Amino acid sequence: MSQMQEELRQKAKELLEKGEVRYIIGWGKGRFHHRPPIFIYQAEDVDKLVWDEYCVANLGKYLLDDKFPEGKIGICVRGCDSRAVVRLVQDKQVKREDVCLIGLPCTGKVDQEGRELVKCRDCMHRNPPVYDIVLGEPVEEKGNPDRFKRVEELEKLSSDEKYEYWSNVFDKCIRCYACRNVCPACNCRECFVDQYRVGWQGKQKNCMQNQIFGLTRAYHIADRCIECGECERVCPVGLPLMELNRKLIKDLNSLFGPYEAGVNPDVKPPLGEYRLEDPEEYM
Amino acid sequence: MQFKKSDLPKILDSMAKEATVLAPMKVKGNSKFAPWGTEGELDFGAQNVLLPPKDCLFPQTEKMYRFETDGLKVNDFEVINESRPTVLFGLKGCDMQSILCMDDVFLTKGYVDDFYKKKRDDLLTVCINCTTVAKECFCDSMGGSPNGHAAADIQLYDLGESYQVKAQTEKGQKAVDSWQQYCNKDEGEIKEIACELKVDMDGVPEKLAGMFEHPIWEEISRKCVGCGICTFLCPTCYCFDIDTTKDGAEGTKFRCWDSCMFSEYTRMAGGHNPRPSKKERVRNRFLHKLEYFKERYDKNLCVGCGRCVAKCPVNLDITSFIDQVKEVASHE
Ligand code: SF4
Ligand code: SF4
Ligand code: SF4
Ligand code: SF4
Repeated sequence: MSQMQEELRQKAKELLEKGEVRYIIGWGKGRFHHRPPIFIYQAEDVDKLVWDEYCVANLGKYLLDDKFPEGKIGICVRGCDSRAVVRLVQDKQVKREDVCLIGLPCTGKVDQEGRELVKCRDCMHRNPPVYDIVLGEPVEEKGNPDRFKRVEELEKLSSDEKYEYWSNVFDKCIRCYACRNVCPACNCRECFVDQYRVGWQGKQKNCMQNQIFGLTRAYHIADRCIECGECERVCPVGLPLMELNRKLIKDLNSLFGPYEAGVNPDVKPPLGEYRLEDPEEYM
Repeated sequence: MQFKKSDLPKILDSMAKEATVLAPMKVKGNSKFAPWGTEGELDFGAQNVLLPPKDCLFPQTEKMYRFETDGLKVNDFEVINESRPTVLFGLKGCDMQSILCMDDVFLTKGYVDDFYKKKRDDLLTVCINCTTVAKECFCDSMGGSPNGHAAADIQLYDLGESYQVKAQTEKGQKAVDSWQQYCNKDEGEIKEIACELKVDMDGVPEKLAGMFEHPIWEEISRKCVGCGICTFLCPTCYCFDIDTTKDGAEGTKFRCWDSCMFSEYTRMAGGHNPRPSKKERVRNRFLHKLEYFKERYDKNLCVGCGRCVAKCPVNLDITSFIDQVKEVASHE
């Protein structure tokens, strides 16, 4: 791990010194075990970059803060970050030529007690599928045989039981919108939630309004969710948001064939493309 | 006097006959102040319960009045100001201090908020001292203490097997009088502890007063994702919005928590936004916590509970920020 960190700092230094990138988005040291995102502009600051088992946050979304950059943005990408960038490029939010992807094959991250994160346990792309530079050696992909296991269990419930289950979940939501704000698939210029004058979303915090938020968000990103698990990681009240996302992915797969968002920049998301052989269930 | 911890459920039961007793509990995986007697387990751990107690005085959504209209005429209008006797049991010092901050906002400087006042008058506060601290706790750097709070109606001291009781107000004394059957004479010693995480607030509000245009804001706000975690979990954040639901002729006005970290919080009619980016939003939050409130009410609006330190998804940490303010030159 520390050797990779050294390589990363070297590479970052080189890119900054040669002026190939204007700044680099990576991870730095926080208060405790935290490795918050940092933005490095000067070659002499590259030693602030950290690469270890605590580099948890997904970085892709920060590209939206600088859509018309003066020079390239260097960004550290694990599998999930790389897919996030692909998603943003596909949605024409970011230009591929504006970013330099520094690939970091990843063996999974841990929480402060050293337990592997759920999102990493479930990860199916530890090697960045798209990159400009890659450091270290590729790591073995372990797949996720249990990807839809939980969804299948939930599908067995009756409608009433499902309703009760999801009501209990959304009852706890505090509507902080952290799930939306970290999500690389949520990149609408104005979220339906914030379209106050239209009134899609009431400001009351109650189970019904919380469900309107949670379910609408899930549907809006159904074919764009890259399964990075960030929404579930940041949710302060620990809602099982990936169960919902995976249910939609599973349904889409069975309707339109297998698809994984953000893996191949040349394959469009199924709901963003029309094919003659598409099922006509909704027609 | 003191009572055995094993008698605590009986005391809570007896209080619950006349009031809603809110205690720190784990309820279906959620950590919050919940009514004693409902599903859930008491949780007096070192870590604060995740959701702050402010909801009982200042609910996340609170109905204010009902109305009925006929064209432009209002036919019927009724203020809804519901409250019932409530006990906040097992507050830590930081959360007790947060209630004093809220009192300042809702009850002083010439305006009394009726909705808040009614609930506050109905409230009995019972503090318990902390016997261990979480690594994110820093209340004793912010003017508080893990060892109790003088403003609580009743202060309990954890002696291991029992609680020593100290009534600190008349209201508290009245409640304690009804616990007599469970109480006996004091023995054992109260242990004092201190937070491990320290910040030095000395001179910080004054220094911040000259830092509105400082480059630090741009730098520290870069990583913020603009969510509502730090403000909604904070026991002292009190911003709200007022909105209406209307169904035909009948409608309700309600108020609900708002967050200065949300992009549309300062959006004005016509679309102008005086805090257009996260730089201005993060600056507002930190200046409000550490400078403006101090100037207006002579208290820090951060009580050092550590919730935002523990839960911010990108560790935009108020304690690291205070360290940084101490270090930077006031004008760069
Ligand atoms: S919905 Fe969750 S898992 Fe899917 S892309 Fe967004 S943050 Fe990642
Ligand atoms: S992060 Fe969790 S609590 Fe916050 S809005 Fe999303 S689902 Fe609700
Ligand atoms: S400081 Fe952290 S918790 Fe607060 S809005 Fe920013 S990202 Fe969210
Ligand atoms: S700012 Fe953070 S540490 Fe301070 S009182 Fe609020 S939640 Fe607690």
